[in-house]
Amino acid sequence: MTVSGLVALAAGVTVDKPTGFLGALATAAEDFIKVFNKGGSVLLSLMGGILPTLIVLLTAVNALVRLIGAEKIENLGKAAARPGLQWYPVRYIVLPFVSVFMLTNPMAYTMGRFLPERLKPAFYDSAVSFVHPILGIFPHANPGELFVYVGIATGIQQLGYGLGDLAVRYLLVGLVVIFIRGIVTEAITAKMMSRAEKAA
Amino acid sequence: MDGLTNLIVKVGRSVGGVVGTLYQAGRDTVDTVIRNVIPFMAFISFIIGLILTTGIGDWIAKALKGSASSLGGLLLISIVCAIPILSPLLGPGAVIAQIVGTLLGVEIGKGNIPAQYSLPALFAINPQVGCDFIPVGLALGEAEPETVEIGVPAVLFSRLITGPLSVVIAYFASFGLYTASK
Repeated sequence: MTVSGLVALAAGVTVDKPTGFLGALATAAEDFIKVFNKGGSVLLSLMGGILPTLIVLLTAVNALVRLIGAEKIENLGKAAARPGLQWYPVRYIVLPFVSVFMLTNPMAYTMGRFLPERLKPAFYDSAVSFVHPILGIFPHANPGELFVYVGIATGIQQLGYGLGDLAVRYLLVGLVVIFIRGIVTEAITAKMMSRAEKAA
Repeated sequence: MDGLTNLIVKVGRSVGGVVGTLYQAGRDTVDTVIRNVIPFMAFISFIIGLILTTGIGDWIAKALKGSASSLGGLLLISIVCAIPILSPLLGPGAVIAQIVGTLLGVEIGKGNIPAQYSLPALFAINPQVGCDFIPVGLALGEAEPETVEIGVPAVLFSRLITGPLSVVIAYFASFGLYTASK
């Protein structure tokens, strides 16, 4: 008999499904390891899919931020402290964006030091609310919390859609939301401060 | 001759500076990836494996399908996350938001939740962002203790308004996102 004949013969043989106590144990063991096999393949697809791009992108942006120099944005912080309606977008859109981009989470909040006390909570609220919407396009700003975005984005990818649309809309809506958040929190802070002064 | 030497030194120095910066950026990146990104990927992979192979997935799918595929349900999620007592507890490390985001991602991938809802969902699961970190964040901005005392409740109360509002804005901004063209 040839080797190929043997192989064909072996392929025809099937093993009975294990039964009884040992059979139940065997099934349980297979189910148990199945969980981790699936997890492992998910991990591999994450590491193979996102990670290489992420590392290269992070390196490029980190280098860019270093070459520009984080101290360059201090003047923007001073401008944002000015009173007047026209400085609201600077304070709650431009400054949070630039600080989160350049300084990343959590050092972005140090830019609050250029603002008067009554505006600090509003700026913090605005800046901290931007550390996730920026992730779709600039993951370097907050790589430790990437999965707020990537978790949902993975589902979109599985459907075979591009992520660009979601990433851009997340960023833009994020900018609108942090602007509103800054204004609302500034108003609430002002009210609470005047109440505290009256009580004192 | 002196001028030429100076030029060469200058060029050499600036090229060295750029290369050094790039190299340092690479080192920082790999550091972050190994310390922050990969551990979370391992953890998330385990959870996804558990969801996909056991019956937990169907159970979560049922619970999420009702709430995450309608504006009302998403609003409810955002209001719960924005409750001033809960929000600081849900905040740390954005772990809750990341897990819920991943669960939603799995359901979106399976087609149980319409892809269009991915945008409002991103905001619905996250009105508590940074609520655990307000005193530290304000201290980083060199705020006075009196400001912190007022700032913490001010931000928490503000989230009750702006959390659901962000979901509504995102809902209207999601029109035309991943919907089939007719």
